[in-house]
Amino acid sequence: MRTERGARAVLIVLLLPVGVVVLGGLGSAIMQSVGLMPLVGPVRFNLDAYAATSQDLPVAIGVSLAIAAASTAIAALVGTAAALVVVSGGWLGRLVGIAGAVTISIPHLIGAATIGLLLADSGVLPRLLGIDADAWPPLVGGPWWVAVIAGFAWKESAFVALVVAGTLLTRVAQFDEPAALLGAGRIARIRMIFLPLAAPSLIVASTIVFIYTLGSYEVAWLLGRTYPEPLAVMAIRLFNDVSLTSRTESAAIAIVTVVLAFAAVAVASVAVRRLAVWR
Amino acid sequence: MTITTRELVPALAIPPRRLPGDPGRPLTASRTGSRLGRVGLVVLLLGWFALPLLPLALWAFANQWSYPSPTPTEWGTDGLNSAITAGGIAAFGRSALLGVAVAAIATLIGAVAARALVAGWAPFPRLTTVLLFAPVAIPPFASILGTNVILLRAQVPSLLGLVMVLVVVALPYTTFTLRAAYAAHDMGYEEEARTLGASQAQVFWRIQIPLMAPALARAAFLAFLVGWSDYIVTLIVGGGQLVTVPIITASLAAGVGNDSVVAVLSLAAVIPPVALLMVLAQNGFRGRP
Repeated sequence: MRTERGARAVLIVLLLPVGVVVLGGLGSAIMQSVGLMPLVGPVRFNLDAYAATSQDLPVAIGVSLAIAAASTAIAALVGTAAALVVVSGGWLGRLVGIAGAVTISIPHLIGAATIGLLLADSGVLPRLLGIDADAWPPLVGGPWWVAVIAGFAWKESAFVALVVAGTLLTRVAQFDEPAALLGAGRIARIRMIFLPLAAPSLIVASTIVFIYTLGSYEVAWLLGRTYPEPLAVMAIRLFNDVSLTSRTESAAIAIVTVVLAFAAVAVASVAVRRLAVWR
Repeated sequence: MTITTRELVPALAIPPRRLPGDPGRPLTASRTGSRLGRVGLVVLLLGWFALPLLPLALWAFANQWSYPSPTPTEWGTDGLNSAITAGGIAAFGRSALLGVAVAAIATLIGAVAARALVAGWAPFPRLTTVLLFAPVAIPPFASILGTNVILLRAQVPSLLGLVMVLVVVALPYTTFTLRAAYAAHDMGYEEEARTLGASQAQVFWRIQIPLMAPALARAAFLAFLVGWSDYIVTLIVGGGQLVTVPIITASLAAGVGNDSVVAVLSLAAVIPPVALLMVLAQNGFRGRP
């Protein structure tokens, strides 16, 4: 028992950085945003930072939510299709599995850079398709955030695919074969076995993708437009701004983003609990 | 970023679905029509995953590529030379060191936490679990805007602060991977070795580590990816002191006319993790020992 107590003490020490970053980071961001940790001047509770951003904040929230929703939807769709292929096995399935694993290990910023090289109006895709630069739609930095969403959807579809395939591999065969023996067709087996079994991990993976996309900086910064800005881009711009009040405003945006992320977690956990497989 | 990597080459795990000696195909195998559809779907998916990498392969070796031409107009190594001039080699080394440091620390903490959670001696197990997994639900930019102020006021050196934040970001992945592995780990082996007179150190080095090696490798790989890939934490918490491959690539990609050097740096950033992945996949990365 003495070793156990020692090990527990070691673990508490090892977990200190987690406490500093998670609790300390959130706490200090909250305090900054309400004026309790000013860079200079008196400590006074106020909501000035939230009021100062109130004009641009709703737009930023809208842009961020829209990008996150679109990216997550495409990633979930493509990822589920890829998981289906991976789970059904054979060398084709293995090939898709390898392509997904390679895609996951590409850094997001590098992914954004290469999507830029592909989709820009002088990019590789219009060159290959022989489309004139003037006729090519403004995918990078354009009004529909196409390159940003493509970048997220591409990388995150691989994530969804491997998470869903990973949880299904060991379970799907034991239901799939009896169902086929009993005369269930392909579509019926996808609808009544694959999708219900995949649903919990699909929801969890999609939630992680949604939150990641909501708070990601580099892809939207590199491939997006300068106005309107998504939350992360706006917060980092204000953070690097020279004016003294902008730090508190960037903290306020950070807190708003965290609240949105927690709301997404709450919705997802309700959704998972309602699933038949979970019950 | 985020995977439980035991499924990295998953198709291998499916046993042949027929009895030995049975020449027939399993009922679940695709036939003519649906087989064509399946091949079509696979081609589409492979195109989806591979197409974004095409510019890297083409631009990295293009000295000149005037607009309408579908292939580079002059091949060469100008991009590589500019990448080296821009400090690419040193940045490569810094990125690798950062990745290795994050992998080592996050795997160690993740292993201790996972073992404690599984064995039931973790302090406040619920709070510990929530804390360890919270970074997945908190966007990194949001937590570092707050953390940065604490680190500055506590005068923590920026490099140390950077590694600490990235370790915390990596911990959900290492803890998740290792918790699953420890849950499946048969304590009987350790108990039997102890009964036969092995010391605690011997049990640790000769039973626990070898049995956990594949999971430790998976966890370390995921944590390495966190350090290797990071941009925003390195930028804000690192305070511009640590110039890694993503930092150089970002500053060049934000400008114009750097397509070739951006492609070279991107290739340099893609190859090491993919090579690691292949090496680990060869060495029973996903299999149980």
